[in-house]
Amino acid sequence: MLVAALLGVYGVSIRLADVDPAALLEGLPRMAEWVGRSWPPDTTDLGLLLLRAAETAAIALVGTTLAAVLALVSCTMAARNLTPSAFVRLPTRWLLNTLRGIDSFVFAILFVAAVGLGPFAGVLGVALHTWGSMAKLFAESIEDLPAGPLDAVRLTGASRVKLVSYALVPDALPGLSSIGLYMLEFNVRTSTVLGIVGAGGIGLELKNSLDLLNFPRLLTVIIIILLMVTAVDQLSSRLRRRLA
Amino acid sequence: MSGHGGAPAIRVRGLGHTYTGQTAPALSDVSFEVAPGEVVAVLGPSGAGKTTLFRCVTQLIEVEQGIVEVAGRRLGELRGRELGFARREVGLIFQQFNLVRRLTAEQNVLAGRLGHVPTWRVLSRRFDQGDRALALSCLARVGLSDQAGQRADRLSGGQQQRVAIARVLAQQSSLVLADEPVASLDPTSATHVLETLRGVARERGIAVLSSLHQVDLATRFADRIVGLREGRVMVDRPAAAFGAADYVLTFDRPRPAVPPPPDGDERTRGRAVDSSTSLRITR
Repeated sequence: MLVAALLGVYGVSIRLADVDPAALLEGLPRMAEWVGRSWPPDTTDLGLLLLRAAETAAIALVGTTLAAVLALVSCTMAARNLTPSAFVRLPTRWLLNTLRGIDSFVFAILFVAAVGLGPFAGVLGVALHTWGSMAKLFAESIEDLPAGPLDAVRLTGASRVKLVSYALVPDALPGLSSIGLYMLEFNVRTSTVLGIVGAGGIGLELKNSLDLLNFPRLLTVIIIILLMVTAVDQLSSRLRRRLA
Repeated sequence: MSGHGGAPAIRVRGLGHTYTGQTAPALSDVSFEVAPGEVVAVLGPSGAGKTTLFRCVTQLIEVEQGIVEVAGRRLGELRGRELGFARREVGLIFQQFNLVRRLTAEQNVLAGRLGHVPTWRVLSRRFDQGDRALALSCLARVGLSDQAGQRADRLSGGQQQRVAIARVLAQQSSLVLADEPVASLDPTSATHVLETLRGVARERGIAVLSSLHQVDLATRFADRIVGLREGRVMVDRPAAAFGAADYVLTFDRPRPAVPPPPDGDERTRGRAVDSSTSLRITR
């Protein structure tokens, strides 16, 4: 019964997704030809491409930091152990889920329309989506902390602000920092494509090169993206290991 | 009743509580007092109402039936700031110590000052000289001056519980509630912790109300024993007079045959083989 249902879902999904192996077979030689034509990579615009890569990293860093500040403020209102009242907690969760449900890419399209082309639209897009994701992860991390120390400090007569800053932050900080670094890593990858919708960064050059069928330049762009993403992943995982 | 004189640190009269959805009350008509400087052990089988009693005194449960007075203030009528002030009067010791793991021993003791200190000092971690001196003297009292800068999660269980005692000293509470304070400790550490607790209670006139599940520890360290069963006070008498009949009244079964270890030097006894055997059996 369950198997039949699953098979049905897959059948419908494959039809809807227009899966066509023949088209792939036809397209493969064309892609192989592009790969052949892209060698050697074109480095004439290297300075510009590196600048765009730096722009991408900057979008990720500023956007993630903005999101972290917003998430820190809102996560305590979404965590059950700090905000028992459903009247505050549930609306906070709804807001955060909405933000999380809309991708950075979609926010970026909206912000390009609102504040114009350029990296700032990307920063705002990354910040809003990441705020939702990060606050949810922060809240879950806080809910996983042992209740005992919080109860002990709460029952000394400490106010909420004192409780959070003194008893919660020290034990929660390693977990929250780790989440922040993970989101930064993730956003560097996201930011590489934001340029496609005009929200700044190296994605703009990716799209230009593809539009002009300038494959050697496209290869350079892809190599830069790979190097940057790998470097950030390495750095972040090393930092996170030290936090653990 | 207590022999210490003066107004009681805590007065409980006719306290009752029934959890929603339950027919049998968790507590019914519970009355007792603890005088300043007095150590009272609460004994009873699991489900006897010890936890409910503690939750009423810490105001985690609203007192609906009867009266609970701490330092002359009646609980249940206080809100907001007043509730905060009343909470400062009650220091808590937990089975799992409940220290903030990544703060130092000294910072954990300073947590006892949070109810007294202005918010900006807490945010900036800049406690004034008086509070810092107080925290260090409290650590010294529990014999942990040399561990002041050590992170809490690097201390042994017994040391952590003594930091927790220093925390309630810094809080300057008139009443300390201890919920199974030595249940997670080895016999030697348990003895050391209970000696410390009784010592500070005597010196500073702090009333201690502690649940314990080991009868021999209760008779050795408490001044008085209150036996709870099915939410009722079955026994309330001096610890020295707690006998076999009282055990049956409290636990509804005879006391296991092996007698508690004879009185003697507590430090050596903690390490002795026969003591650990008796602990296993009375548990």
